[in-house]
Amino acid sequence: MPFAIEVKNLKKSFGDLQAVQDASFNAEAGEVLSLLGPNGAGKSTTISMLSGLLAPTGGDASIMGHSITKEPEAAKSSLGVVPQDIALYPDLSARENLVFWGKMYGLRGAALKQRVDEVLEIIGLTDRQKDHIGKFSGGMKRRVNIGAALLHKPDVIIMDEPTVGIDPQSRRHILDNVKALNRQGMTVLYTTHYMEEAAELSDHIAIMDRGKVIAYGAHDQLIKMVGEETRIDLTLNTDGEKVLAAWKATQGVSQINSLDGKVTVLVDDSNRVLPHLFEEASKAGARITSVEIQEPNLETVFLHLTGRALRD
Amino acid sequence: MKIVDIALKDLVRSTRSLFLIGMAFAAPLLLTGLIYLAFGSIASGNLSLPDITLGVVNADALPADAPLDASFGESIRSMFFDESVRSWITASDYPDEAAARAAVDAQEIGVAVIIPAAFTEDYLAGKKDTVITILQDPTLSIGPTVVRDMVTSLLDGIAGGGIAFNVLNERLAANGQMLDPASIPSFFERYAAWYTDFQRAMFHSPEKAALVVTSPAAESEMSDPVRSMMGMMMSGQLIFFSFFTGAYAMMSILQESEEGTLARLFTTPTDRTTILAGKFLAVLFTVIIQGVVLLVAGHYLFGINWGEPGSLTLSLLGQMFASVGLAVLLVSFVQNSKQGGLVFGGALTMLGMISGLFTANIEIKAFDLMGNFTPQGWVLKAWKLSLAGSPANELVAPFLVLATMGVVMFAIGAVMFRRRFA
Ligand SMILES: Nc1ncnc2c1ncn2[C@@H]1O[C@H](COP(=O)(O)OP(=O)(O)OP(=O)(O)O)[C@@H](O)[C@H]1O
Ligand SMILES: [Mg+2]
Repeated sequence: MPFAIEVKNLKKSFGDLQAVQDASFNAEAGEVLSLLGPNGAGKSTTISMLSGLLAPTGGDASIMGHSITKEPEAAKSSLGVVPQDIALYPDLSARENLVFWGKMYGLRGAALKQRVDEVLEIIGLTDRQKDHIGKFSGGMKRRVNIGAALLHKPDVIIMDEPTVGIDPQSRRHILDNVKALNRQGMTVLYTTHYMEEAAELSDHIAIMDRGKVIAYGAHDQLIKMVGEETRIDLTLNTDGEKVLAAWKATQGVSQINSLDGKVTVLVDDSNRVLPHLFEEASKAGARITSVEIQEPNLETVFLHLTGRALRD
Repeated sequence: MKIVDIALKDLVRSTRSLFLIGMAFAAPLLLTGLIYLAFGSIASGNLSLPDITLGVVNADALPADAPLDASFGESIRSMFFDESVRSWITASDYPDEAAARAAVDAQEIGVAVIIPAAFTEDYLAGKKDTVITILQDPTLSIGPTVVRDMVTSLLDGIAGGGIAFNVLNERLAANGQMLDPASIPSFFERYAAWYTDFQRAMFHSPEKAALVVTSPAAESEMSDPVRSMMGMMMSGQLIFFSFFTGAYAMMSILQESEEGTLARLFTTPTDRTTILAGKFLAVLFTVIIQGVVLLVAGHYLFGINWGEPGSLTLSLLGQMFASVGLAVLLVSFVQNSKQGGLVFGGALTMLGMISGLFTANIEIKAFDLMGNFTPQGWVLKAWKLSLAGSPANELVAPFLVLATMGVVMFAIGAVMFRRRFA
C-alpha cells in the first residue's frame, strides 16, 4: 500500500543555514503523524515544502503518490493546509471566505454551495456565516481557518501548530476536531512542540531537531528507546554548577539537563543512583529541595537523544 | 476563471474599504465640487448679476509723443462700453465731474468713474498724485466694488506693461540698441492682451472677478469657456486620483503577503501566474470603474463635456494603462503596506505636480515640458485634446505613448513581483 505522505531525503538551505537536512519519513493513509520538535527544528520549513510554498533544495516528497516537485498541482489538490497563523480575509464574511477558498480548489456552483454549508456545520459557525471574520473571536477565526482547508475534502491535511497561543478550551476543540477528521479517513500531518498533543493524537511521531529527523515510530516504540531509563526531576537550593558536574560523573547517570534551577537527570536505576545524588549534593554544600521520579515520556526520549529539553 | 474569482474577491474587498472608496470617488468629486462652488457663480453666467448703471467722465487725451494707440482713459472707458459687459453694465458719458456727481445724487446712475485730464501723460511720467475718482451711491455696495475691481485690474495691467517696457528698453539700450518707435504700440497691445488672458486664467479678469463677487450660483446654463475650465480642473483630479487608486488597490498584494493569505493561495492548486494576473486584473477593473463613474458624474454634476466618444475612450484607456503600469512598478519597490501609503502619496503628488495636474487650467511651460516624461503628463495631454473636442485620430498618438509606458512599467514591475512573491 502506497503512503499518503512520503518524504525522501528532503533538504532546504537558507544560505549557509541548513534548515532541513535529509529529512525522511512516511505517513500511512488514514493515520495521524506528528512532527514533534523544539522551536527552529525545521517543522514549518518541512511543511512549507510539502504544501508547495518553498521549493526543496534537494530530495523529494509525494502526497497521495504525486511528487511535489514534478506534479505540484495534483499534489496540492490532494492536500489541505491549515497555516500556523490565521490566513483569511478579515473584511469578508465567514461564508465569503469559504466560498472563495473553495473556488481556489476548483469547486463551483451547487457543489460549492453545498460543501460550504457542510463545512460551516462542521466548524459550528452556520449561524455566524454572514459576519465578517474581522469581528470573530480568536477561537472562531481558528475554526474558519481549519474549515477553509476542508472544502475540497482532501485526502491529506497538514496542520502547523494549530494550538499555539490559544486558551485550553479552544485547544480541546481543535484536538477533537483533528480526531474527528481522522476518523472520517483523512490522513493528518500535525506539527507541534507539545509532547502531550503528539502523544494523544498520533499513530506515529517523527521527532525533529536542528533540521534532522532524529527518531521515528509509534509512541510506545519511541518510549522504549529510552530503555529502562528513568527520569528524575530535582530542584536545588543553589544553581550549583559543582553539583551538576559531580552528578554527571556519577555512575548510572546517562543525561543531565538544567534549566532555571530545575534539573532533569536520566538514570538507569533510580533506586541505586538516587542516594548518590543526595551524597554528591551535600558534599558540594547544596540541598535538594524536591525530587520527582517520572515515568518515561516523549520529553525523556528527546532528552535521551539530544541531551536537551524539548521546551526551551 | 480563477483569475476572475481572485479579481472579484479583490473588488469586493475594495468596496468595503472606506479609504479606497473615499480616495477613488469622494475626494476627486469633492475637490472638483469645491472649485465649482467657489467659481460656481461664473457658471450662472450674466443673468443673475444686478445691473450696474455707470457714468464715465473721460477728460484724458492721448499725448502727442505717447507710445500708444489710445489714451489709458479711453481704454478704461471702452472697457465699460464693451460688447461683453453690455448685458449687465449700462454706461453713459458725462461731460464733467459735476454732471456725474449730480446724476449719482439723483440716483440716475449707481457709480461714476472720473478720469482726470492728462491722466495718460501723468501716469507715464510716474506722477503719484494722478488719481481716478469713483463716485458711488452710498446705498449700493456691489456695483461700485465691481467697477473699482475692473479699473484696478486694468491699471495693474498697464503698470505691468510699463515695467516690462522699461526693462526691455534698458536691455536694448545696454546693447546700444533702440526700440523701434513704430513697434511700441503693438508691444503694449500684446502685453495687454497677454495680461488679460493671464487674468482670465487666474479668475481675476475684470468681468470674472466681478461675477465672483456678485452672484450666488444659479441654475442656468454654463458658458462654454467655464464648462471647459471645469473640464480641465476635473481632469487634473481625475488623473491624480486614478493613479492613486491604482497604486493603493495594487497594494492589496502586500497586504495579502502580510496577512498570510498570499501564502495560503500558493498552497492551493492555483498557478502563481494566475494569482498575480488576478490581482492585476482587479486593479484594472478598479481604475476603469472609477474612471467611468467620475466621467459620468463630472458630466451630470458639473456639465463637463469630455469629448467625442472615441476620443474620451482613448483617453480613458490610456489613463488605465498608465495607472496600472505605474501602480505595479511603484508597489514592486515598496517593502510593506505601511510604507506604501506614504510612498504613493509622495511620489504621486510629485509626479502629479510636475505634470501640471494641479494647474491643469493654466499653461505652465516647465510643467508642459516635464509632462513629456511622465505618464500623468501624457494622460493630461490626452484629456486636454479630448476636452477641446479633438477627433479620435488625434488621440491615437498620446494613447500609444501611454500604452507603451504602461506596458513597460508593468513588465518591469511584474518581473520584480515574480521574483519577490512567486
Ligand atoms: N525564509 C527563511 N529564511 C531564512 N531562514 C529561515 C527561513 N525560514 C526558516 N528559517 C530558519 O530555518 C530554521 C527552521 O525554521 P522552522 O520555521 O522550520 O522551524 P520550526 O520547527 O517550525 O520552529 P517553530 O516551532 O518556532 O515554528 C530556523 O533556524 C529558522 O530561523
Ligand atoms: Mg513553525
